Amino acid sequence: MITALKFSAQLFLLWVIYFLSAWVIKTFHLPLPGGVLGMLILFALLLSGVIKEEWLTTATFPLLRHLSFFFIPIAVELMEWGDLFRQKGHLLFLPLVVSLLVALLTTGGIVQLLTASSRKDGGH
Amino acid sequence: MNSPIMTAFTILLTVVLYIISRKIWIKTQNALLTPLLLSTAGIILILHYSGITFEQYKPGKQIMTFLLGPATVGLALPLYLNRHILRSSFFPILIGIVCGAVSTLTVAVLLAKVSGLEALIVASIAPKSVTTPIAIEIAQIVGGDPAITVAFVVFTGTLGSMIGASVLTLCKITNPVARGLAMGVTAHGQGTATILQEGQTQGAMAGVAMALTAIITSFIAPLFIPWLLG
Repeated sequence: MITALKFSAQLFLLWVIYFLSAWVIKTFHLPLPGGVLGMLILFALLLSGVIKEEWLTTATFPLLRHLSFFFIPIAVELMEWGDLFRQKGHLLFLPLVVSLLVALLTTGGIVQLLTASSRKDGGH
Repeated sequence: MNSPIMTAFTILLTVVLYIISRKIWIKTQNALLTPLLLSTAGIILILHYSGITFEQYKPGKQIMTFLLGPATVGLALPLYLNRHILRSSFFPILIGIVCGAVSTLTVAVLLAKVSGLEALIVASIAPKSVTTPIAIEIAQIVGGDPAITVAFVVFTGTLGSMIGASVLTLCKITNPVARGLAMGVTAHGQGTATILQEGQTQGAMAGVAMALTAIITSFIAPLFIPWLLG
């Protein structure tokens, strides 16, 4: 019972932050996802100590563990796009695969290079 | 025909398929059998063969995705718990993530454009390396379609989980920090879960990279994509 109350209160806190972020974005026409602004606000509130991490853990971790549930109803809309993937699916392969390799090797290569050189300088 | 009974049925169907597919996934630990992939395929098949249209599924969708926004905000918590990682070597990490996020977006958008794909698809492909909840929002801002973006995000996450670690090893990228960040930038949550099996450092790095890639892409995509396509 206490856990359920705690869960609901924490969920409400997350919802309030999201709701305010979405409102700010709509009012000021910012080209930014509401979730990202909310995330940045919550991160700042946690860093400044206004919100303690214990106030969120009960609701947040179960929610994040089942995050992929929320994508299912969105992905079901793909049933409307069957023809598109049948006709143009092969054209998607190259951009998706090449960009994936580019991301892996750019980030991996740069970070390995930069951390290796800082180690040679004696710093770490 | 839309009725409360139909809505209740579609919600129940989604929840049941999610529970079953999650059990299968936990049991098999196969990168190709994620709950999202299995349940979506199952639901589409069931709707198709029972003659239920997406229009009838839609009211249930609105109810089920209500908590997605608040859950996305919650992504700040794991990032906050891993904040010491950011402090340890801030600039190499930031430069690596920014370059990875920008280059993958550029290559994906330009290759999609020269392949002759329509603007809707090109815009939907842009956030394909971003964690799904934020990728969906970016897609809407840049003129893409959320459902198509989910397909690209899942394809990228799945392929990245399957080949990412081997590609890095093949290219002699052995540093655990570099490997974790590369997987987080490339394959978001799926890549993070995979590389976590290699070690705690890799997993924590990937989680941080996933969050920062989402934030960076959110800021650059709305400005950068019209310019790339212009």
